[in-house]
Parts: sequence; structure tokens; C-alpha cells
Amino acid sequence: MAKAFRKTRKGIAGELERAERDLVRRLFEDVISMLERTAAADEDPLAALVGLDTNAARPEDSALLRLLPDGVKDDDGESLEFRRLTERSLREDKVAALRAGALLLEQNPLLLTPEQAQLLARAINDVRLVLADRLDIETDEDAQALHEIDDWSQAEDLQTYLALVYNFMTWLQESLMQSLLAGLRQPE
Amino acid sequence: MEAMSSTIELLPALSPVVENTVVDVEAETERYTGTSESTATDVPWVVLVWNDPVNLMSYVSYVFQSYFGYPEAKANTLMLQVHQQGKSVVSSGTREEAERDTQAMHSFGLWATFRKADQA
Repeated sequence: MAKAFRKTRKGIAGELERAERDLVRRLFEDVISMLERTAAADEDPLAALVGLDTNAARPEDSALLRLLPDGVKDDDGESLEFRRLTERSLREDKVAALRAGALLLEQNPLLLTPEQAQLLARAINDVRLVLADRLDIETDEDAQALHEIDDWSQAEDLQTYLALVYNFMTWLQESLMQSLLAGLRQPE
Repeated sequence: MEAMSSTIELLPALSPVVENTVVDVEAETERYTGTSESTATDVPWVVLVWNDPVNLMSYVSYVFQSYFGYPEAKANTLMLQVHQQGKSVVSSGTREEAERDTQAMHSFGLWATFRKADQA
């Protein structure tokens, strides 16, 4: 079983078992492929150069929409305009954090700088957003009910398995956050 | 169009300036950046963060502290507003600043939107 992250004098320390690291890395890779699959293949190179994405459209997949949300509420036109200006770099930003997170997990035990811990936290968060969408978590009550599922011997169906993975990622994220927040309160 | 203002300023570097030897800098700046439009009104733009059941309270507070540089107490107040009231205004400024902050919140996985401060 993994050990919770904790702030030490040398950095933010953590320890994951091999199977856990493999699982988290695989989840990062899944989200990377979600973000890259939908990127337009035949795009205007000049537009790409300046970071524009004239083909950007609101994602139909609700999980992808959660990763790449609307920037303006109740205004589809303005939202699309914002998407065309920013979505490409947002995707690249997220993919970079997910790749960095996967790379960081290759070391064990983990010893992270605050910057590395933030990249890992962003990657974990995007995985949690996707899992939450697949698990239909829409309210705080949904999240609470799911939180009760913690027995891996019960993992007989996909939903239960996803819930267990979600709770594991939540636990990792919370301990990472407590370590990062402690660092902000008391910088070395 | 206002929404284009943040990218149009990249265009002068790409377009050959050959015809006019005398360039009206002010007019050109205005043409490319739309500054006359954005300074015509003092109404600032605001960024709102919306509640969701996934982002941890500790994570949201951390994002407000590390990205905006808010002290812990202010970050926690804003985070609790998001959590309990469904949304909170987390920053304000020019349209460009609001767009940048919105994109940054999205990169952290928070759901943020921007709008003019005087819109209901």
C-alpha cells in the first residue's frame, strides 16, 4: 500500500507500490490520448504557429468537456471564440503536466520539489475529473456516497473498480495537497 | 471583434509594412490591439470559479494561493464561497487578464468563466 505524501526537509516525499505506479501512469496516458486524439490532424500551420485552433469545437464527450470547459457562460459564440484562441495551448499544457507526472512516477520513493508536486497534482486532478464523469458524480452527495467504497475485495464490476481507483487518486491528491499547503505556510 | 484582440497583436510581425513610410503609431496600435474599445469603458472583467463535486477544497485553496498569490485566509474564503454559494469572483482586470486567468484555472482543472463585471 502506498504511503501518503508528506513534507520533509528535502522535499515532498511519497512512496507507491509498483502496481500503483503502473496504474496511475496508465491513467495519465489514457487522459493524454483523450486530449490528443481529438486534436485536428490537418491544421493550418500558420494558425498552429500562433497557437490558434480555427477548427476547435465544443467537445461532445462530457469528460473531455470537463477538461476543456467553456470559458464564457451562456454564450456559445463567445465561448467558441475563446476556445479557438486558447484550447490548443490548454491541451498542450495538460498533456505536458500528465507526461511530467508519468515521468516523476518512475522514481521510487518519490521526492518532489513544490513545482514537480504541482505538476503531479494537476495530472492527478485531470484523471479525477475524467473518472468522476464516467462515474456520474454530479453532486457533493454523489461524491460522498462513492467515498464509502474502499474494499478492493469488492471490485467485481467496472463501476466499483472505477470508484476504488477514484478514491485512491483522491487520497493521493489530498496528501499531496496537505504537503504543498504546508510548504506554502512554511517555506524552507 | 473584441475577442480577437489578444491574438491580433501578433499579426503586425507577420505582415509586410512596405506601402507607408510614415506610420501613425497610435492609429496602428489601436487598429491592432483594439485599445480604444477597451479603454472606452472602465468596467472591468471578472473571473468566476464554479463549484463542482470533484475538486478538493484543499486543491482549490492551493490553486488560489499558488496561482494568484493570495494569502491562505483569502484563498480559503474564496474557496468556501465557491463550495457553499456555487461560485465566486476570484479575480478582476482587463479582458486580457480575465482571459489569461480563466485559461490558467482550466489548466488546473477548475471550471472558470469570465465576463464583464456589470453583467448580472
